[in-house]
Amino acid sequence: MRALTAKLKTAGWRQEYVLVMLLVVLIGVAGALDPTFVTARAQLKLSENIWGLAILALPMTMIIITAGIDLSVGSTVALATVTFGLSWHQGVPVWGAALLALGVATAAGALNGFLVSKVKVHPLIVTLATLAAFRGIAEGASKGKPVTPLPDAFTQFGDTFAGIPVAAWVFAVLAIVCALFLGRTPNGRFVYAIGHNERGARFSGIAVDRILFLLYSLSGLLAGVVALLYAARRNTASPEAGMGNELDVITAVVIGGTSIYGGRGNIVGTCLGILLIHETREFVRWYWSSDELNLIVVGSLLVASVLAHRLLRFGKK
Amino acid sequence: MKKWIAAMLAVAACVGCRREEIETTGPEAKAGEKITVCLLPKLKGIPYFTSCYAGAKEAADELGDIELIYDGPTEGSAEAQAAMIEKWTLQGVDVIAVSPNAPDVIAKSMQEALKAGINVITWDADSTVGSREFFVNQATAQAIGVGLVDAMVNDLGGAEKAQGDVAIISANTTAANQNAWIEHMTARLKEHPNLNLVTIKYPGEDQNNAFQDAQDLMKAYPNLKGIWGITSIAFPGAAEAVKQADKAGQVLVVGLATPNDMKLYVKAGVVPSVVLWNTQDLGYLTVHTARALAKGTLKSGATEIEAGRLGKKVIAGDNVLLGDIMVFKKENIDQFDF
Repeated sequence: MRALTAKLKTAGWRQEYVLVMLLVVLIGVAGALDPTFVTARAQLKLSENIWGLAILALPMTMIIITAGIDLSVGSTVALATVTFGLSWHQGVPVWGAALLALGVATAAGALNGFLVSKVKVHPLIVTLATLAAFRGIAEGASKGKPVTPLPDAFTQFGDTFAGIPVAAWVFAVLAIVCALFLGRTPNGRFVYAIGHNERGARFSGIAVDRILFLLYSLSGLLAGVVALLYAARRNTASPEAGMGNELDVITAVVIGGTSIYGGRGNIVGTCLGILLIHETREFVRWYWSSDELNLIVVGSLLVASVLAHRLLRFGKK
Repeated sequence: MKKWIAAMLAVAACVGCRREEIETTGPEAKAGEKITVCLLPKLKGIPYFTSCYAGAKEAADELGDIELIYDGPTEGSAEAQAAMIEKWTLQGVDVIAVSPNAPDVIAKSMQEALKAGINVITWDADSTVGSREFFVNQATAQAIGVGLVDAMVNDLGGAEKAQGDVAIISANTTAANQNAWIEHMTARLKEHPNLNLVTIKYPGEDQNNAFQDAQDLMKAYPNLKGIWGITSIAFPGAAEAVKQADKAGQVLVVGLATPNDMKLYVKAGVVPSVVLWNTQDLGYLTVHTARALAKGTLKSGATEIEAGRLGKKVIAGDNVLLGDIMVFKKENIDQFDF
């Protein structure tokens, strides 16, 4: 196995090729077992289940490249959803409620960023705490009750634009922006530098604290965007929104080849990771009709990808 | 490379073991003529819905031409329900039978399923207007209201002997189901002039408040003979108050909840009767309704449906009525597990 990975390495091996290969195999098997699954109509409809997670995975990729993590994304989604639902219910116009939700989500992310960059608490601890706290506030403020139904002027954002879900357009734009930022701008390259060696980056005069603060704030803001997209799609502002999203998002990022130790990763890999998780999960749901298999599948994928990383690291030596 | 091939073969083999053992099929049915019925509970894995499924499976086994799929969200989210309906719509199943968690959330996906030519019905709980064809209604408000009063009268020694003060503990003043039941209860109570309904308490959805209300009732009305707890929250709350006051048998508590919630109080003699519907029959009738709809024998405007061992069932408007309530007592409660 070690010889194999070494060989692949010299042959220009990259995580992305493996992901594409796995995807092709998966789609091939799925198509052979049930051709309906691979039709454009089915795929487009099923894709509606993934855009939210895909958007959350973008800032998560950048944060993990800095050797950080944001466990609180799912709870931030809930916080923003409840902010939106309650303020609209109290008579705030719907666009005002949406802005308020984005503001609260950004503030939530900024709190994480402040604690990580200024107070220097480990991001795992910070965001584990806010994972619990934000969800608690959302549940408490809403008393556990969803606000539903929402106005039609708002729920239309849960539909399609030019045949493609609105959320997909949002994701496409954000993904391109993030990929260009990471790959083509000095600040984007600094993100990698922070993950490689934070002290070194500081000594080189990189504004480490400011970059970290902004990344966590961005994670909050996009959680707010996702909250609005979820609410529009399902016509409900529920404190349960985003439950468990952190697991799916982090899994996708890690499968996509971003190193959990920082310094390595990219947006293309994350997109492939998201796609792989999505297709695997949808097919398992499609074929076996058993909701409980879902978590098992995501968990197994995460373990498998970590093992693959291990093999690669051995291969390097 | 051999290992890779082996791994892929293993994956392929796993995928190959299809869902045969999950679904129920009759032995004599031909493959091409099967009707696929998807039964969607609010929550998968809780005894109430599992017992409904048992009845549905019984009907599917009897009929033989039903492929029954039972799946629902394991964490009870309405969004997950909507995703499942969307998936089944894409797969082109014949009937989707839903117990909606939040009607507004899944209405859109149900309407899309209808538009795609799939028969959509609700069971156990109803959804919004225009999102389904029929609702399999487990018990009418009248059956529940009358059933609650009759159970209490019976437990107090029958129509001649029953007398004294009685009270109702409900939920919020706005709870639609409970208000409808109370209406039928008071109507039925007119036939029993010796029973005097002294008050109706509204503790909200809070068991501690219900407990407190029951204590207050016992203090305020010394001649109190019975309390109805008409939600699954008020019922155990009231029963606990009577139990702690050592008034088992003196103040009877009757109400609406699942047998498992009340077993303890039934055995302690505090609660003589638990009123609910037969959940297995609910699943059974749902599958019969689904099949009749898919076969075209059940059409809008029908007034009755043939439902296997349940015989003919009445359809009122677009509600298929299971109709009968069930009373669980000390003697039979151990036979039920939900």
